[in-house]
Amino acid sequence: MTGRGTSSRFLASVLRNGLGRYVCQLQRLSLVFSPASPSSRGARDYVEEKVVDFARSNPGIVVYVNPKDCRGPTVVAEYLNGTVREESIANRTVEDIAQLICKLASQSGLEIIRIRKPFHTNHPSIQGQWHPFTNKPSGLGLQTLHRVNQPGFPPPE
Amino acid sequence: MPPPRPRWWLRRRGSAALPRPYLASPISASRSSCRSCSCRTAKPRTGIASSCLLLGPRARGASFPAGPSPLLLPSPRYSATSGSASSGCSGYGGGGLLATAGPGAAARNRLVVKTSLSSPPWPVFKLPDPVEETKYHTEVVQRVNEMIATGQYGRLFAVVHLASKQWKVTSEDLILMENFLPAECGDRIRLEKVLLVGADDFTLIGKPLLGKDLVRVEATVIEKTESWPKINMKFWKRHSYRKKKVVIQPQTVLRINSIEIFPCLS
Repeated sequence: MTGRGTSSRFLASVLRNGLGRYVCQLQRLSLVFSPASPSSRGARDYVEEKVVDFARSNPGIVVYVNPKDCRGPTVVAEYLNGTVREESIANRTVEDIAQLICKLASQSGLEIIRIRKPFHTNHPSIQGQWHPFTNKPSGLGLQTLHRVNQPGFPPPE
Repeated sequence: MPPPRPRWWLRRRGSAALPRPYLASPISASRSSCRSCSCRTAKPRTGIASSCLLLGPRARGASFPAGPSPLLLPSPRYSATSGSASSGCSGYGGGGLLATAGPGAAARNRLVVKTSLSSPPWPVFKLPDPVEETKYHTEVVQRVNEMIATGQYGRLFAVVHLASKQWKVTSEDLILMENFLPAECGDRIRLEKVLLVGADDFTLIGKPLLGKDLVRVEATVIEKTESWPKINMKFWKRHSYRKKKVVIQPQTVLRINSIEIFPCLS
């Protein structure tokens, strides 16, 4: 659909990530695959070769490996803000699965919908927001003051 | 005697047709031609009585040399043939004319009576003396350096050139780029192309960039995601023409951590 027909959000981060310390937003990664079915072949190869290195290089992510009967191999990613994302890895190569898991690890749990503005700031103006009287001489109100101070004001009714 | 032309007609012939002395410039003097009889001899615009004043089919007006009349506002094309020394081929009236004679007298030496058209409608600025200006500049630079050194500034903002766009950036704010950086999530990055840095009281403007020893803008890569699937669809009705393409862009989110300036202005 168009951007107008779908939901949208503003650019944000989870709990001011990056200000003090950067925290990886992926909390838990569960690989669910079948030990025998042909569609899980890529998943089985990934578990054999690459999952241990990934888990070692990302100590903040908890990796669960579940070989059980399932409808199709999936990877379930849970984030610190509670979002759960499930992606199918049926009939995928090892490199594809590795790329997908890297992508999931570098995302935050915020929804992937249209982002309205590519920037966000809490301090939009530092030198003062412009209004029509900035950079104008400040004598406009003085004229009325002169008139008030002269004798004969207020005029008799 | 033809009827005097209205002012909008004079405007059509270009600004030179209008009697405004502030529009006369010495540059155009060499290219002027005698206006009364439109001969091609180059005449300076000032104070010289022309010899071709009264001749030619276009000569209009009085053909006797009249004295300068201070209240006259002669329209140059049509009544320039008054024999006063300063009008004629000069093309400019602007009130009464008391000509300072002499060849090569510049237009600005002429004394012009103040009327509504004798001075330009825009305010006239006098440029300052260059020596004084340099003194003033050095003082300003010193003061700003002092302010930076003593830390008399609050929050800073910077204009930074990143991903072929310019962003106005302060600390603690977020930026989204529609591409991937080679840095990993959590890496600290220095943004080098800084065009402008400002605080509440002063601004440092680069031409076009500020030096790397002057400003330091640091950012952290927070997130590397993909955009939402944008649909690029074309459809023409009644022509069986439709195309659909789903576009997913890589995105990087940066958090600007700090902007620092150092007192090394000169």
